[in-house]
Amino acid sequence: MTLLCLAAIWLVGFGLVRWMFPRPVRWSLHNVWLFSLGIGAGAGVASCLYFLVLLLAGPRVTVLVASSGAAIAMPLAIGAALVILAAGLLTRRKGTELQWSDGPAVPWYLTAFLLLAALLAVTMFLGAVIYNPHGDEAAWSVWNLRARFLFRAAGFWRDAFSSDLTWSHTDYPLLLPGLVALCWKLAGQESTDAPIAIAFLFAAGTACLLVTTLGALRGKAYAWLAGTVLLGTPGYIALSAALYGDVPLSFYILATLALLCLQDRRPQDLHPQDLRFTALAGLMAGFAAWTRNDGMMFLVAMIVARVFAVFRFGQRARLGPQLLRLLAGLAAPLAVVIAFRLRVAGPSGLLSPPASAIVKHLADPARWIVIAQGLVVVLFTFGRFLIPMILVLALFWYLVRFQVDARDRAALATAGIALALTLAIQLSVDLFYVDNLPVEIGTSFERVLLQLWPAALLTFFLASGPLQLVASNSQGKLSKEKKAGRPQRRAVETR
Amino acid sequence: MARHQFAVLSLIAIALASTFWFLLDVLGTATHKSQGLSVAGFEDRFNDLRKTVLPHAVYGYLSDNPPTDPSAMPEFHLTQYTLAPAIIKLSPTEDLVIVNYHSKQLDPKLLQSNRLAAIRDFGNGVVLCRRISR
Repeated sequence: MTLLCLAAIWLVGFGLVRWMFPRPVRWSLHNVWLFSLGIGAGAGVASCLYFLVLLLAGPRVTVLVASSGAAIAMPLAIGAALVILAAGLLTRRKGTELQWSDGPAVPWYLTAFLLLAALLAVTMFLGAVIYNPHGDEAAWSVWNLRARFLFRAAGFWRDAFSSDLTWSHTDYPLLLPGLVALCWKLAGQESTDAPIAIAFLFAAGTACLLVTTLGALRGKAYAWLAGTVLLGTPGYIALSAALYGDVPLSFYILATLALLCLQDRRPQDLHPQDLRFTALAGLMAGFAAWTRNDGMMFLVAMIVARVFAVFRFGQRARLGPQLLRLLAGLAAPLAVVIAFRLRVAGPSGLLSPPASAIVKHLADPARWIVIAQGLVVVLFTFGRFLIPMILVLALFWYLVRFQVDARDRAALATAGIALALTLAIQLSVDLFYVDNLPVEIGTSFERVLLQLWPAALLTFFLASGPLQLVASNSQGKLSKEKKAGRPQRRAVETR
Repeated sequence: MARHQFAVLSLIAIALASTFWFLLDVLGTATHKSQGLSVAGFEDRFNDLRKTVLPHAVYGYLSDNPPTDPSAMPEFHLTQYTLAPAIIKLSPTEDLVIVNYHSKQLDPKLLQSNRLAAIRDFGNGVVLCRRISR
């Protein structure tokens, strides 16, 4: 029953994004991309609506569901999902259809390695959650504890944010607990299936979104490679199986930046209808803020980065319409976050120290050194690779080099600045506010990097030069393109 | 072309080898019985008490774990997780206090020093106590 609820929520998300980007229903890159985005869209919409219903009519709705059980709630949810899905499927309008980008021929072993990485990742995930179905400590002491309060407490659901529970971070937003509680509510029972299935969907969705977006921007070879590296990141899969909020946040960060990259490939003066990419990016950024407080930092960093990138590399006239669409997209989830902050959330323990303590922290050079040391160590150890991935990526860069397409400059600047700024804000918050820095570095630095990891892979491979993996096919393909008079990539060497 | 193939295969080899190595760790942990804190085991211990708690109720919490024991706080958090939607406070000064002990017999001194009287023993090291007023 829980899985049926999640499928309904997923279909709602698919219907919503398909309504924005309608294309015929068939096996295509476009529809796989929509299915991937649908996971995050459905989860965000369902969680926001659940919270609003709870806030505005909580006890009444809770009593309705509790007294009549899933018998009423479930058909209602499936009915709503079908209506939204039908709206998505029946919509006909002009718009972009994402297709595989021209790229080098893909050798068979790339496909085989991607499938092997997926198989290993699924096995690892299942092994971890079967052994530990409640997840790691932060999962049950924060996210699933909150979900239990929302599900079990009926009219007293606000007890989840009691001042007696500040140790469980009562200021954290509710995308994940709300979604889990909604699944339990609709299914009429509590089980660990819901958080596990949600974690699996978000991890799989992130991998699919990375593969399809890079497929549309750089072709199959880079898409397969990025998918293999992400699924082959043991730390990322372990974080997903720990049932934390970091992997859902990484989904929304990737989705936001991927949509902005796609936007820059569709100039709005030629394709004004494609400003939908930016509107959907705004929605995804809003859901990031509804997932974790770190998502709010990303939201601020992303807006600053986008303004700078469009101003510097795009046409300045595009800035106004893009910002308007971005704000329109994020308005609804941001309003939910603000309502949560004002009406429900507990105090933030992190931001409570007095100004004198912050000044003392800033003036202490030892803290700067600890932060810098921690960052360097985590950069070399994150992801739990056998050899530091940063060195392997450096080797890849040395052998392949960067070659930035002129069309991708603004997108790459947006993604690069947004990721760097998010990391800088996170480090600054730690520097200003956290008392026990070594513990914070040991527990959270790696998670922060893994939140940004899928989007960092997108940025890295989008900037990388063209790959040549198969001699005859790729050369033949290139010469065919030249003969056909296709425009060549306008590239800028950044060697 | 060889440079590119080497670059791609290096990335893939490190990723897949790391995943395979980590998978062995995961499967090794999963197939060996752990002595660590088990959520399911903890929930079983508190199951009878859980059936009696009410939403919005506030309970104190006392344990015989030494404060320096690394499992002291996780056990308190697990108690809250298990007994939600009741609120559990890490203090023995509430009217009703949940005592979580690990020895074979509950040490009476623990109750006396905190001015507690046992109301109901749920077994498995879980006792519900009432605070004795002066």
